[in-house]
Amino acid sequence: MDPKMDSGIVSTYYSVEEAIDNGAAPVPLSFDRTIDIQRVIDIMDHLLACEATWHRGGSLAQTVFSCIYLLRPDRTSSHVLMHSFCRVIRTTCNALVQAVSDARTNEEEDLFIMAYGLPLKVDGDEKCLSILHAVEETLSRQLKACKAPLSKRRVVEDVEPLQTSLEFEEGFCRAVLCRLRFRKVGGGGIEECGGGKMVRFLTFGKLLCAQHFYHVLTCMRRPQGKGLELAKKHIQSCLSELDSMLKSEEFLRHTCACGTLEDGIEDKTTASGCQPIGFDSTLNSRSAAPTPPRAIKLLSWKKAVNYFQKLLHDLEIICSYSLDPILEDALRFVVDFQKFQPDLVARAYVQLLLVQDGKLYGREPLFAVICKAALLHEGAKNHDVQKNETVTQLGQLLISLLRLLCTNTAWQRRKLGKILQDWRIIYVQLELAFRKEFGDITSTSIDQNVCLKICKHILIWVEEQTYWIALRFLVLGFELELYSTSEYCMVYWYIYVILIKLAEKTHLKMMLSNDSGRRKSKKKRDYVKDMGKDYQIPPAVSLLQCYIYVAEGLMMMLASLRNENKMFLCLGPFNSEQERFMQHFELLQKACLPDHASYFSFRETISNARFSTLSMYNCFKDAQRIAKELRGNFANDPDRMAELRRIEQVAEHNSVALNLLCQLGNIEPSLKFSFEFIHHPHFAVAAVKRS
Amino acid sequence: MEEGKAEFEESEIEYVSYGGEHHLPLIMNLVDQELSEPYSIFTYRYFVYLWPHLSFLAFHKGKCVGTVVCKMGDHRHTFRGYIAMLVVLSPYRGRCIATELVTRSIKVMMESGCEEVTLEAEVTNKGALALYGRLGFIRAKRLFRYYLNGVDAFRLKLLFPRPDPNYSESGIPTGVEAQGLGDGIPAEENLLL
Repeated sequence: MDPKMDSGIVSTYYSVEEAIDNGAAPVPLSFDRTIDIQRVIDIMDHLLACEATWHRGGSLAQTVFSCIYLLRPDRTSSHVLMHSFCRVIRTTCNALVQAVSDARTNEEEDLFIMAYGLPLKVDGDEKCLSILHAVEETLSRQLKACKAPLSKRRVVEDVEPLQTSLEFEEGFCRAVLCRLRFRKVGGGGIEECGGGKMVRFLTFGKLLCAQHFYHVLTCMRRPQGKGLELAKKHIQSCLSELDSMLKSEEFLRHTCACGTLEDGIEDKTTASGCQPIGFDSTLNSRSAAPTPPRAIKLLSWKKAVNYFQKLLHDLEIICSYSLDPILEDALRFVVDFQKFQPDLVARAYVQLLLVQDGKLYGREPLFAVICKAALLHEGAKNHDVQKNETVTQLGQLLISLLRLLCTNTAWQRRKLGKILQDWRIIYVQLELAFRKEFGDITSTSIDQNVCLKICKHILIWVEEQTYWIALRFLVLGFELELYSTSEYCMVYWYIYVILIKLAEKTHLKMMLSNDSGRRKSKKKRDYVKDMGKDYQIPPAVSLLQCYIYVAEGLMMMLASLRNENKMFLCLGPFNSEQERFMQHFELLQKACLPDHASYFSFRETISNARFSTLSMYNCFKDAQRIAKELRGNFANDPDRMAELRRIEQVAEHNSVALNLLCQLGNIEPSLKFSFEFIHHPHFAVAAVKRS
Repeated sequence: MEEGKAEFEESEIEYVSYGGEHHLPLIMNLVDQELSEPYSIFTYRYFVYLWPHLSFLAFHKGKCVGTVVCKMGDHRHTFRGYIAMLVVLSPYRGRCIATELVTRSIKVMMESGCEEVTLEAEVTNKGALALYGRLGFIRAKRLFRYYLNGVDAFRLKLLFPRPDPNYSESGIPTGVEAQGLGDGIPAEENLLL
């Protein structure tokens, strides 16, 4: 038997019933009430570790539902605390399975939503709000009672303590309370919080009606992002309960019933360090629930708490988003969000926010979004051209793109490469459709002009968007570490040619829009005069120009190192650089992005690169200059300002490196060159080391 | 001698093609010891029975110290070679044994008409990534949590030049030169920039 493959074969018990008969999950957990409460806390902690492991790619059956108490819901009914906690866990898992299924972001992690045969939804779980509140109320009283000075104890003496050791009462009450509050669930959904029912909760112990994890999840699913503000408040409460949980660790370790704490406390799945009772990860391997053929390692309790902290911070970023109706900003938001490397759950929620009912944020029809992105006037969004089938398809393509941008970056890059073809095809289809449309629906010359304008703008936008996708495809290669240093030269060449096309299309789109704007507002004579006088390149285009210079600089610097010093060459016994080029850019080449870009044009561009010529024309200096000039344009946008700073650092660093290389002439063999991403995730800086 | 490293001359290593059932336990032992993925005996048999000429073993004084297991076949209209397992015992690493093993397999694939060769490697396996990079493999894709241990993988690909004489402008070197395949530890580095 292979120990790596044993989990399907080896199990302690044949069935859940056998495990229960053997006393694996007693109710109560102990007749000693102190031990009972300690065990409950351990189970709560272990479930947190299970849940985090599930979120990170484990199966539900092997993690959360390795808990026997969860598998047999009726058994806990006499133990109010356990019973309500189990309900909360099931309800939360159910909400998450629902969200990830709806988002369909599950990619390769399709294990996440596999819950077949598991009691994920149990009758009565929906009522857990009231039960939980009752439990929490009792606990609050117990805490209050044990904290009260002796003289006042009489007032609260009807309150039975949580367990038997008086000295530990406060510690246990606090430990249980923060764990419960973190979980607290809003059975009927968050709708209850907005209305009159909130009052009922507010009167109770001054606790907010909903301050916990499940509420975060339900608030975030309210249509059109209407619950985001409330969700943000709950996130803060959740984070503070997690802090309290961390603080309870010392107390729980101290009172730990399992005696001595052995080594490896960092790996423990409970705050106390004790092994929890009532779990068996092999139980489900014999049932219908899907379990992979291998045992998994659970995250430790500490790591689980850290995971939830990270998740909540990621969700907070989503909740703080302004739901900008401008597509470009929405795209930038999701791209920036991905830089935090959010896990599946956060990615599912960002997708659910972006795309609802086939609309952006559930409120902006796709055609209106496209019109705005294409810089068309407000009235265009109501034009009949949107009824055209190909235009509808374009909307679908945009939805797919938005969804795709929420998936994990590895999967995303592969799919982005594939959809490039679709965007090329839709361009051709739109051209044909618009021609037909133009003949069919336009009877008057005014109609013709309006329709022509819409078509023109949309076509340019489609091209621009296609190049945007191509650029994202290329730069993601750096984030995923797909390129080796010897391939950087060709990658920067490709980025350079794509950026040029992107800048060209963006500029064209903006000029078209300015053009019609000015035509409207000015007399023809003034308009012609203005054209030459005060035309300024729009900041968005200048920023792209800045990237173009950096990409060009890097490409030429690498090319010179190759040509003059025979460094970073793609040599191998079985193929040449051409095959590497073809493989890396196959999908771009298939989609003719851009036209005529080939390995031969790459070779032609770089073949004459020499440091002697580069010293006369240093692209990095131009990049630096533009970046500095642009500061004024983006002063109100901290993210763009940070990006400008990064790009300036890259340009500055490489400018110095280039000067040094030009002066060095023949490079000694003891000098080692490398390219590092210390300032920017996509634009490297040259580093020279003496070995 | 470096700690944990075997002392031997490269000429002492003997490379043999898979020779039959007696080689199977040797291959299985090596793979089970060194690779994270679990394989059943059926997996091993699948490879070595169907493509015995693509599997090689490396011996040092009668002891099996490395192996490569491969297959080839049609994949979406492409005749493709696939490197399933490549293992060299830790004390024997850094001496080009893996390069020699895998090169032998790739040569057979090339001669058999394969258009490309692929494999997966853990993103953390720097040694393997460097080895395949030197042989001309590119990192074509990243596969999210590909392995059962939760680690991502790279799909590595080696495209052979097309036979068309007009296709390539540069000459394709033939035969493997073990250029820079040693694992020399770099001297202390001083940052200049």
